[in-house]
Parts: sequence; C-alpha cells; structure tokens
Amino acid sequence: MMRKKATTWLYRLGFVLISIVVGLPLYYLVVTTFKTPEEAALSPLGLPSSLNFANYERALEAMNYGNALKNNLVITVSAVILLVVFASMAAYVISRSQSKLFKTMYNIFLVGLIIPFQIAIVPLYQIISGLNLMNTHTGVILVSVFCINLPLSIFLLRGFISTVPVELEEAAFLDGCGTFKTFWLVIFPLLKPIISTVVILNALAIWNDFLTPLLFLQSPDKAVLLQEVYKNVGPFSTNWTSFFPMLVLSVLPLVVFYIMMQKRVIEGVVAGSVKG
Amino acid sequence: MYGKKRERVFLLMILPAFVGFFILFIVPTLMSFFYSLTNWSVYNADLDFVGLANYKQLFSDTKTMASISNTVKYAVLITIFQNIVAILLAVFLNKKMKGANFTKSLVFLPAVLSILVTGFLFQYIMSSSDFGLFNRIIQFFGGQPINWLGDADLALYSVLITQVWQWSGWSMVIYIANLKSIDSALYEAADIDGAGSVRKFFTVTLPLLYPAVSFNILMSLIGGMKVFDVIFAMTKGGPGYATETIMTTMIREGFNSGRNAYASALAVVFFIVVFILSRIVIIFLNRWERKIS
Amino acid sequence: MKKKTLTLLISLVLTSLLLMACGGEDTSSDADTPSSDETNEEVITLRMMGYNPESSRAQYLAYLDEQLPNIKVEFEFVALDNFNNVLNSQLQAGEGPDIIEVGGEAKLLARANYLLDLTEYDFMSKYAASGTAPYSVDGSVYAAPLQSWFEGFFYNKAIFDEYGVEVPRSLDQLIAVSKELEAQGMTPQAMGAQSWEPMMKQSIGIVNNEFYSNEDNMAFNDQFNEGEAKLSEAWLPYVEEWYRLIEEGILKEEMLGLSYDQALDDFATGKAAMWQSGPWAIETIYEKNSDIELGMFPIPGVEEGPGWLIGGPGSALAINANSKHVDEALAVLELTATEEAQHKLVADNAGSSFLTGVEVDLGEVYADSEEAFKLGNVYAPWTASWFSGNPIVESYGKSLQEVLSGTKTVEEALQDADETNQTLIDTLN
Repeated sequence: MMRKKATTWLYRLGFVLISIVVGLPLYYLVVTTFKTPEEAALSPLGLPSSLNFANYERALEAMNYGNALKNNLVITVSAVILLVVFASMAAYVISRSQSKLFKTMYNIFLVGLIIPFQIAIVPLYQIISGLNLMNTHTGVILVSVFCINLPLSIFLLRGFISTVPVELEEAAFLDGCGTFKTFWLVIFPLLKPIISTVVILNALAIWNDFLTPLLFLQSPDKAVLLQEVYKNVGPFSTNWTSFFPMLVLSVLPLVVFYIMMQKRVIEGVVAGSVKG
Repeated sequence: MYGKKRERVFLLMILPAFVGFFILFIVPTLMSFFYSLTNWSVYNADLDFVGLANYKQLFSDTKTMASISNTVKYAVLITIFQNIVAILLAVFLNKKMKGANFTKSLVFLPAVLSILVTGFLFQYIMSSSDFGLFNRIIQFFGGQPINWLGDADLALYSVLITQVWQWSGWSMVIYIANLKSIDSALYEAADIDGAGSVRKFFTVTLPLLYPAVSFNILMSLIGGMKVFDVIFAMTKGGPGYATETIMTTMIREGFNSGRNAYASALAVVFFIVVFILSRIVIIFLNRWERKIS
Repeated sequence: MKKKTLTLLISLVLTSLLLMACGGEDTSSDADTPSSDETNEEVITLRMMGYNPESSRAQYLAYLDEQLPNIKVEFEFVALDNFNNVLNSQLQAGEGPDIIEVGGEAKLLARANYLLDLTEYDFMSKYAASGTAPYSVDGSVYAAPLQSWFEGFFYNKAIFDEYGVEVPRSLDQLIAVSKELEAQGMTPQAMGAQSWEPMMKQSIGIVNNEFYSNEDNMAFNDQFNEGEAKLSEAWLPYVEEWYRLIEEGILKEEMLGLSYDQALDDFATGKAAMWQSGPWAIETIYEKNSDIELGMFPIPGVEEGPGWLIGGPGSALAINANSKHVDEALAVLELTATEEAQHKLVADNAGSSFLTGVEVDLGEVYADSEEAFKLGNVYAPWTASWFSGNPIVESYGKSLQEVLSGTKTVEEALQDADETNQTLIDTLN
C-alpha cells in the first residue's frame, strides 16, 4: 500500500516536471507580451506587474489582424473543402476499381507522399503565373490542395474505404443508383471518421504553411497571419515585447481550436497514422 | 455486373484530383529535372543545355555538400530523439491517473503552433544576450552561459531541440493509441514469468509498437529532410554554414543568386537522397517486422 | 494497357502545357481590357516592392499619395534575406511589381532586360552621375537613386564620457578604447553577428580606408567583375588588419548568437558602448531609450585619419520593363526627382540626396563623421561596382562567421568570396 502511494506520487512529480519543460517556453511567451522591455529583461519569468494590453493593441494594428485572419480562414476552409471532395472521390475510385489505369494513377499520387513538393517550387511558380493565378488566394489554395496535401488525403481515405463493405453499394446499385450518386449518398456518409481526420490534418498543415503564401501572395491585403509576423521581424524589427504579442496572436486561433476540439484533433492525428 | 459506364464515371471522379496533381506537382517536378541540365537563370536570356555541369559544380562545392550532410544528420537525429522521447512519454503518460490527461494535452500543444513562430520564440529564448531565457536559467543555477545559436558546433543541435520539443507530442499520441491496443494479458503473462518493468518494455511493449514506430520513423525522417521554416526563423543557415540545409541552400544559392538551374540540380539530388534514405529505413523496418512476427 | 497509360500521360502533359501557354496569353489580354475601359478618374494601383520597410519610407509614400491622386502606390515590403528570391521568381514568370527597389543586383536585372531603360527621360538628368553609375549598364541608366545610405559606428556619448575615452581615429585607437572600456567592465561593442552582414561591412570599412582611398585601386573592381583579379590577393592585407579585432578579443564568438535587434537592444539600453549600424536604426534606438546621447564615427583606418563609412547609393527605384502601367510608374519617378520628394526621403531615413542642388543637413549625431562625408569617404564596392555583389558578400560574410568561430582564416574567407564570384561569372554568362 505504501509502495503504491509512493509510486503514485512519483508519477505525479513526473507529470509536473514534464508539464514544466513543455510549458515553460509557452508561459514565457505569454507573460512577456504583458511586460515592458525593462520588466522583461529584469525578471523574464516573473508575472507581469499589470495586465497591460498596450502591446497587443500595437500588434493588432501592425499585423492588420482582422484582414489577415480572414485571409487565413478563406484559404484554409476552401482548401480543406476541395481536398475532401477531390480526395474522397479519387480514393473511392482507386479502392473500388480493378483497372490498371487507376492503380497507376494511385502510384503516381503516392510519389507525392515521399517527395517533398519543394523540389518543384521554381517551375511551379511559372505554372501558377502562367495560369494567371499569381497573387491570388485561388493560386495558394490550388497549390495547397494539389501540390502539397492531396497525396496524404487520398492515401488515408483509400485505406478507410477499403474497409467499407462493397455489399452496401451493390445494393444501392441494384436499386438503380448511379455510381456517382451511390458514392455521395451511400459511401460518403460512412466516411465521417476519416473525413474528420483529413480535415484536421489538412487544416493544421495549411493554416501553418508559411512558404506557399510567402511565394505566391504579394499584396499586403492578401497576406496571411504568418506573413504579417514575418513582415514585422527582420533587420528592422522593433521591441521584442511588441513582437511576442504577434507570435501569440498568430497562433491563437489554432490553439483555441485545439483546446475546444482536443479529443477530435488527437483522434485525427492517430487515425492518420494507424488507419493508413 | 458493372459496365463500361461505371469505369467512365470513375474516370470523371478521379480526373479532377489527378489533373490538378499532374499539373501542379508532376509537371513542375519533371521540369526541375529538365532544368537541372540547362543553364537556366533569371539573368540569362538564352536557355542552353549544359549536360551535367550543374551536378559537377554541386558535388565539388563543399558548402552545398555540407548542407546535404547537415540535412541528413538533422533528419536522422530528429528521427531518433523525437521517437525516443515520444515513446518514453507515451509509456509514462499512458495511465489512468489524475493529471495524466492534462499533461498529455499540454505535451501535444506545441504541435499546433506554426514552426515559424516556434523558431522565432526560441531564437529569443536561446539568445546569447542578457534576456536569453535558457542562459538566465543556467546562470541562476551557477552555470556558464551557452552560445546556443552562435556556436557552430552547437547550433544545429539547438535547432533540433526546439523541434523535438514541438513534435514529440504528435508522435506520442500515436504511440499511446498503439499502446492502448496491446492486450493486457501479455503483461500478466510477463508478470508471471517474473519480468521487471524494463524487461517488459523490451520484450512486450516495443515489439508490439511496431506499427506506430514504423509510421513515426518515416514521417520524422521525411519531415526532417524538408526542414526549412525553423532554420529560416532561428539561424538563417549560420553561423557560417553550420545550419545550412538542402532547402535553405536551394533558396539561397539558387534563387537569391539567380542560379535556378543549379537549384534544380540540387532539387534532384534532394529527391535522390530522400529516396535512398527512406528505402534504407523501410528495409530495416521490414527486417525488424520479420524478426518479431 | 501500359501503352494506354503512356498515351494518357502524354496527352495530359500536352494539355497542361497548352493551358500554361494560353494562360500566359490571357495575362496580357486580361490586364489590357480593364485599363482601356477605365476612365481617367479611376485610380491606378501600382505595386512597389522594396526591401526597406514601409515605415522607413512613410513620409515619402504619403507625399506620393498626396501629389498623385490618380495613382495608388501599394508598397510591398519583402525583407532583404528573401527579396531576391521573391523578386526573381516573379520577374521570371513575367510578373512582378511595377516599381522595384533595386540594389546590388540592378546590373544583372538590367542585362536580363527586366528593367526599363530610363536614360532618355529628362528627370534622370537631374541626378548626379555618382548616383546613377551603379545602375548603369553600357551607358544606359536603369534606376533612379534614392538617398544614400551609410553605416558607421554609433557610440553612446555618455558612456564614452563616463569611462573617459575619446572617439577613435585609427584602428589602434579603436582597439585601445575597446580594451579600456572592457577593463572597466563595459562591453565595448555590440554586434549582431548572427547575421553575416556586420562583420562583412566592418572589414570592408577597413578596406575602404586602406585600398579604395587610392583612386587607382578602383580599377580592381572591373578586373574582379571579369574574374581576373582576386579579393584574396588584393584585399588580404587589409582584412588581416581588421582581424586584429578578433585577435584582441574585441569581437567574440558569443556575438554569433546575437541577432541584429538583440544587439541593437544591448546598445540602446547602455549595455554596450558602440554598435555599428546606420540611420535607419535611430528611431528604434530612441524608442527604447529616449535619453541616449548618440554619435556616429566612421570606421577608422590603420593610420590616424577621418576614416571611411560603408555606404553609397544604397538603393534605387527601377521600373519593371513588363509593367502594364509604365506611364504611371514614370510619373512616380518623375515626382521622386523633385527637391520636395528628396527631402521627404531624407526625413524618413537620413542620408544625402543625389539630386543636384539638394543640400541635406544631417545634424548633430553625425558631427564626428562630417569630415569623412566632406571628403566623400563613403563607399560599398559590392553595390557600387560589382555585378553580382550580394551573393559574393553573403558568402564572404558567412565565411567571416567561420573566421570568428575559429574554423577559417581570413584568407580562406576571401577565397570563398572569390570562388562565389567565379561561379557566378561561369553560370551567368
């Protein structure tokens, strides 16, 4: 009994230590945002003397926050919807058809799972510009969807669809449903768990992507949050106490999303690895 | 019972994804291969074939070679550290106990932050000036300050630490899910055999973690090869060339100097390195799988 | 079956190529339609891309806005470490901003026909030749110079007084002053050597003093551009002189862990007595410490003398040859070539103007540099005279970081720069 109690306390101590190691940088980030530079230099880890939101006010303005947030949302939401629609249809075809053509296509998709898209970035620039999509959200969305995130989504969806019994659609087919309709009415609703995984993984990846908007969006009014952060660093940056709030503001939406949807997010990450 | 018609509908269903992928991924990738054999540059008016000249330059350029070896070193090390830390955390936190869930959630949290932001944050935390948090803590305990990002022998590891901090939680939740699927009867059997907890870990837990291990290893390896954002935010490849990676070199040497063809050649080398590395890992994983099954 | 796949692949390639080609044509026709439909009252938006942030051009941009109601200048800041990357890829794709802030790579861009030839326009004749020379290729001018930039040593006058040291006028004195400060427990120099720029500039400051001060040595640059002369021969003795700062422990390895703004912070808050930078930093310094008494002295040479600053016509505005709004872009440059606009530029960021007849009083902070300015001791060979200056000084600067960490010699750093130069000559010609 004594021994069990001691072990419990040992575990508790372990939890606290782990939390400190992981949480300290985050704590430091947040408390610093309320401090003046002198205060931050004097006691980096102490609590701020007052909840001073002036740093945030400046950051919100410098980042053009509302607009950047809107741009992030537009890009992430559209890209995720397109991914779900295109990837689920493609994955369905791949797992249901015996045709060699589709198997070949699948193998080509899989290339994108291993090969970093970065190797294609310069020619990609020409292509996007040739399609007249430079400096548009559409361009960034298309690159995010087709160039970066499609293969993994197809891979995950295909794995899941393979486990869905064929009998269901055969029945629907006999009822006179066409292939297309069968997919959307019968199969797609069954894919909910894996779709939620695909949505979460892609939303995280696209929201946090820096390179794509950096290369393909130039107008300040189209910039996403990370571009706004980046704009404010560099050789001419001002106070770090006014820079930290920008870091907080740029990650805040996803952190809130994570806190609210924690279980879903973690389930999504797990499903993304095991179901494949 | 399905006719030709079904195949036609299938084609229409897969085509949007395939055409998009083809135009925006396959075509530019092939173009990179093509350009690597030319003198393509923003500053050159004519495009000429130069054969393997770009590759020759690349392999004789010690700086580029250093960046390739840095990248491989980084990818291998992050794979090892991230997974060891994640497995230990998973085993430790996979408990039905007060506080375990909170700790798990917190450990995962850094993974939702953008890498760029993490990089900027740690650039300050690891600064060698007065407000560098790490050095403040070390000095508080009476140690000597460490030049985290300015010491050429250390900088790559400093960057690595931030990424282990950020991504171990991600791998951890995958390991935990895998642990949960292990039949507890196996542990009871081991208990009867009188196995200690360390032995139980190596004889029962680890072999059964195979699916999660193989997935996580491949993912961290490929992710590590692509490393860019964090370097961009923390060291810009410096000091000197100590933290240059394939991606930073590709952008610096190629784009900034306008040597696009050279960058394309590096892209091709990148492709080959990723391919070889992941092959090697897959072979090892397969061998391990055969051994445990 | 295999054959069928192949056919499909080929046809897809063709389709995509066709799409790209058509798309390319679309660009021009699409853009033409709206502009021909537009009435004169409609506001034309011009994209101006620069590597100096909007805040350092605030008054100038406001002035443009006020004077040109029909033109809206959309300023786009891309930090220098990524500027060429973004700009080059855009230009290459036939896109890009209408007005481009150009520096060292202007000549390359001009030779690749990305920039509009400005030689014929009247307003260009109002600039002094020294201002347009860096942007000229074969007698044609491709950019209008903005105010000059310069970099020297900022110093904290209160600290200098308190510790009883004088402004150094030679390298020996700089070393002596630094040692004196160090002995009394004050950090002599803050340096954000995490960036490769400060050491690169500081060492070239010595080269200015010892090498470029002799007019005859200017010819070296032309030979260097052709790959016929080497830094590791011509510059070596002078960079070796600069190396004494490392030998004497004034530049330390720890500095490699400090970024530009962290160093600025140390200097502004009185933790270091000197910091090498330029006028663009002043506002931030005052923001952090409004009481600081600032001065700037030039980088001293081996012999006692007025010293040299690093600088020159740092950047200039060029027009994208493929711009759809050339007339409007020209209107902006024409307005820039007026005394009022030049004063706005200098008010934003201290420097001198290259527009004939514009006198600028730099003020008290730069009193110690006045002599150097009067003698014209301001120079930066890589922007003023070299073809692909930026990549060369980048590789030089990065190698100097290795010199500071003790893994390379000065000679090897210069050889690295020579090698980069040679590679660029080989690949870009």
